[in-house]
Amino acid sequence: MANDTSKNRKAILVTPEACIGCRACQVACKSWNQLPAIKTTNNGTYQNPPDLASAAYNIIQYSEVPFKENLVRWLFLSRRCMHCEDAGCVTICPSGALYKTAEGAVAFDRDKCIGCKLCVTACPFDVPRYDGEGKVTKCHLCFDRIANGMDPACVKTCPTGALKYGDRAELIDTAKKEGYTTLYGENDLHGLGSVYAFKEEPKLYGMKENPAIPSSVVFWHNYLKPLSLIGLGGVVAAAAVHYLAIGPHKEKEEEV
Amino acid sequence: MAEMVRKSSVDEVVNHWILAGSCILLGITGFAFLFHLEWVSSLFGGVNTMKEVHNWGGVVFCLSLLYSMRHYLKDAFEYDADDWQWFKVAGGYLSHKVKVPPMGKYNPGQKLYYLAIVVAGIAIALSGFGMWFLKEDASMLLLSHIVHNVAFIIFVIAVPVHIYLGTLANPGTLQIMLTGMMPLNEAKKKHPKWIKAVGKM
Repeated sequence: MANDTSKNRKAILVTPEACIGCRACQVACKSWNQLPAIKTTNNGTYQNPPDLASAAYNIIQYSEVPFKENLVRWLFLSRRCMHCEDAGCVTICPSGALYKTAEGAVAFDRDKCIGCKLCVTACPFDVPRYDGEGKVTKCHLCFDRIANGMDPACVKTCPTGALKYGDRAELIDTAKKEGYTTLYGENDLHGLGSVYAFKEEPKLYGMKENPAIPSSVVFWHNYLKPLSLIGLGGVVAAAAVHYLAIGPHKEKEEEV
Repeated sequence: MAEMVRKSSVDEVVNHWILAGSCILLGITGFAFLFHLEWVSSLFGGVNTMKEVHNWGGVVFCLSLLYSMRHYLKDAFEYDADDWQWFKVAGGYLSHKVKVPPMGKYNPGQKLYYLAIVVAGIAIALSGFGMWFLKEDASMLLLSHIVHNVAFIIFVIAVPVHIYLGTLANPGTLQIMLTGMMPLNEAKKKHPKWIKAVGKM
């Protein structure tokens, strides 16, 4: 189910350890994509808005995890579309609204979206959101910026280097050399376009373990789709063979 | 002119072509969704309009399928010894030399075809409505999606067989579904038990 592997695949490298939770990435994203504000209420956390939304393509997830003797660690995780190489949303989209760019970004063509919401069911990371008009929205890795040699808005504004953009292989190499032992997304779903560099267990930060496309979507793509063509082609061919080899029903032979 | 006998009522003929037309339209647009055929969606002025055509075409198909039950459902459940013999000689389709047992109004192949269309049709209609109206529920949406596609495969295999057998393989059959009438002599040969039952033989 893999999409084309591009040698110059680009990626965002997220280093949660370097994130200070300033949320400049959220603001920059809204600014570039001209997304409206979302009215929320204080629910006891800095995390705002509480989840990805049609007007929030990225968010910082704040989590407080117990740490040794009664200490609490406050962890920041920048979330957005993972830009999977093997993207379930692109695979299942019946209208071609979701597609992959040359850089490996999963972008969307709003006009083509038919609002079926199949992408929501096929995404292993719960990323796509629908706007008020029933059209898909999600992070598109600023495909318009990166196609013109610029960094994605969130990366451009990040003050600490927690977000980096560049050649995917180079980013992963550098992170490994810097001592990050776990690169989340290096190989998941044939490699994610949002790679996370950790020195600890990704689970601690709330990363999903063993992300996968729903098995019914994989089955549909690998077997049912080809079978529909083989089935149609097969019976048309069989009819042609029957017509030539045995031939149509003839009236006279009926009287035997 | 040869004496004719009515095999299909006017409403049956009309409904058959509504069912057939909507089925083919749904099949073509279905393939267009499955394989992103832009040359098909552009015929409809875009993929959003094609979705509307597909959805409402599905409603037409669904109503037409329900209406067709009054014509075929009862017959489709009745099989006799000749029907089993018909299967043994493959309906005479694999050799013109075998003796095909006397048939009623429909042969068992047609009856099983109808049952397949009813079962796959109900499945594809319910799953279609599932994707249309229950898309907020991810598990219902995925279930509907897979059922819709499995039923689609039954259609793409069964329908072309039906079209071939109703046209090229059996010359004269198409005329029956266009006019509702068939020559009495031919009906006596092909459907002796039906002609006896209606008292014309």
